[in-house]
Amino acid sequence: MSDTENPEQVLNEPDLSTEAAYANGFEDDDDEDAEPITAQKVLEILETAWTNEICAPELLQHQTDMLELMLSQVAHMEEQMKDLDKNDFRFVVHQMELERIRYIMASYLRCRLQKIETYTQHILNQEATRDAADKRLSPEEAKYAQDFASHVDEYFNKVATQYMPNQQRGEAEQRIVTPNLMSHVFLKANIAVSGVIVGVDDEEVDLAPGSQHIIPYQLVADLIHKNQAQLI
Amino acid sequence: MSRSNKMFGDKAFDLLKDLKRSSQTIPAFDDDGVRQVLEEIKAIFEENVAQASSYNSSGDRSLWPLLNYRHAALQRNKRCLLAYLYERMQRIKALRWEFGPIIPGDIKQALCEPEVQFFNNYSKSLAAYMRSVGDGQGIDLTGNLRPPKSLYIEVRCVEDYGKFELDDGEVVHLKKNSQHYLPRAQVETLVRQGILQHIA
Amino acid sequence: MDPATIEFIGEKCMISIIPNFSNEPLHLIYGSVGPFRAGFPVFVPLWLAAHLRKQQKCRIVPPEWMELETLEEIKEEEKRSKFFTKMPSEHYMVVAQLVMSTAPDDVPRCEELRTVIKDIFDIRESKLRTSIDAFIKGEGTYAKLDNLTLLEMHSVRPILPYSLDHIARYQRMATASQRDTSMLGMNTTISGSGSGSGSMSNSYFTQ
Repeated sequence: MSDTENPEQVLNEPDLSTEAAYANGFEDDDDEDAEPITAQKVLEILETAWTNEICAPELLQHQTDMLELMLSQVAHMEEQMKDLDKNDFRFVVHQMELERIRYIMASYLRCRLQKIETYTQHILNQEATRDAADKRLSPEEAKYAQDFASHVDEYFNKVATQYMPNQQRGEAEQRIVTPNLMSHVFLKANIAVSGVIVGVDDEEVDLAPGSQHIIPYQLVADLIHKNQAQLI
Repeated sequence: MSRSNKMFGDKAFDLLKDLKRSSQTIPAFDDDGVRQVLEEIKAIFEENVAQASSYNSSGDRSLWPLLNYRHAALQRNKRCLLAYLYERMQRIKALRWEFGPIIPGDIKQALCEPEVQFFNNYSKSLAAYMRSVGDGQGIDLTGNLRPPKSLYIEVRCVEDYGKFELDDGEVVHLKKNSQHYLPRAQVETLVRQGILQHIA
Repeated sequence: MDPATIEFIGEKCMISIIPNFSNEPLHLIYGSVGPFRAGFPVFVPLWLAAHLRKQQKCRIVPPEWMELETLEEIKEEEKRSKFFTKMPSEHYMVVAQLVMSTAPDDVPRCEELRTVIKDIFDIRESKLRTSIDAFIKGEGTYAKLDNLTLLEMHSVRPILPYSLDHIARYQRMATASQRDTSMLGMNTTISGSGSGSGSMSNSYFTQ
């Protein structure tokens, strides 16, 4: 932002002046050691997670913490705005911003649900092999995925599969839909990354910060995960 | 076994073609078609089982291509049938996003009982998920479907809807052909259902 | 990403407005904007500028590059250059379209500008099509896309990544079917597609 004020409203800063209170909703009370994170930073992280999720063929790491923070921030601001006149300049502008943020969060979660519904069994199988810290699904999504899988099974079974003779072993596995990890994506490097393999013949290139590329997803999935690059 | 002018898998393929061709949101569940395909699958399977045993005992290699052919037909039938059900399932899911937890009556007639059951299960799971997001703070994912352009939009009423209360308590009368300037977020659902029309 | 999403992202760009009202700063989650002082320029996000302009609460100051001579130069440079030149804004199309549609009166020689910007976009699109053609024929799987804007990349979206995906799929199936002629024959293995990265002669992508 261009103005001279410090836009970084540190979230646990005890500044309760009328306007500033809108922007400082989070109190980091469950984790004393955590670096204070600004609402602006949380939003940036969510925005990146959102575009990455839209562009990536597979389901990415969940962002439950960031989402929770942003949802409470939005709720907090709504609370603060309750007493403002609906035609007040401030009300309208804040409201517009909240609409934008709500859209990002909703679009992000919808995109994840869509992947969960498409690749349900594949995702559940993979989750089963991951450690708690590496889970891609949030606990809520994990429950949703389980439920969805059983609803689909029930439906297919009632209408068709129970009448099909000799369900050969392996047929159910064959029906598992998996994302095409070799599908091409647009990538932007956040920092300099050297020695990225870009072809099957092990050709390597160095990515300059800010440079853009088209490349099969799988070759850069790791860079996305480490936030060294983002999908656009 | 099948009528002479018919090929294995024709019926299964018809299911898919009819579904694709239909201009309705969801055409009526083809009970009869599904049953026929299942019968064909069963018949092919039984014939193959019978001949496979004679193939095993006699070692008559001339049966091999026929067994293979039948197996391929069986797989194709299964595949078409499952694709038919899968595509219908996609459309049933879309209903939840478009119309909310209640299926409109005319569409409901087109669904078979397990499909209605699936819709209800799906609807409940989705609602439970949306409530649970963010440590129970909840988020409605069926709104905010498009990037927000402005807070208010100009709409025309396509049919008589009656009273509509806005979040701030203001009540508007949505009469056919009346025009209103309303908060976008609050009327998005009505626009999607075709009761209001967004005028640029 | 569809055009509406790209526009949504582009609307975050900061742009200068001259408000006709005064107000203390607003602390948005994105960061603070203001203070607003009647008659004095202030930077705000494009979405806010468009809103205030529709409410007749401000005048939009077009960005420096939205000026005929500058754009004519960019256009000539784009014609001359073998590669894509760097645009003055990552979201030049979104910014230009939004500013010119919400505030045509604030933009001197608006109609002429519209034409030049469209020309620049067309020149770049045609370079893009040539490059893609060469890229696909050269069986490339990787290319650098420097200086392309988000909108431009996504304008070729259905063709570029999906056609590559299809080609890769056919290659995998060809490899798989050679290897696997078993009865079910459906186990397409994810094996590498046999193609190199794009070093293309007939391309405007930087290499």
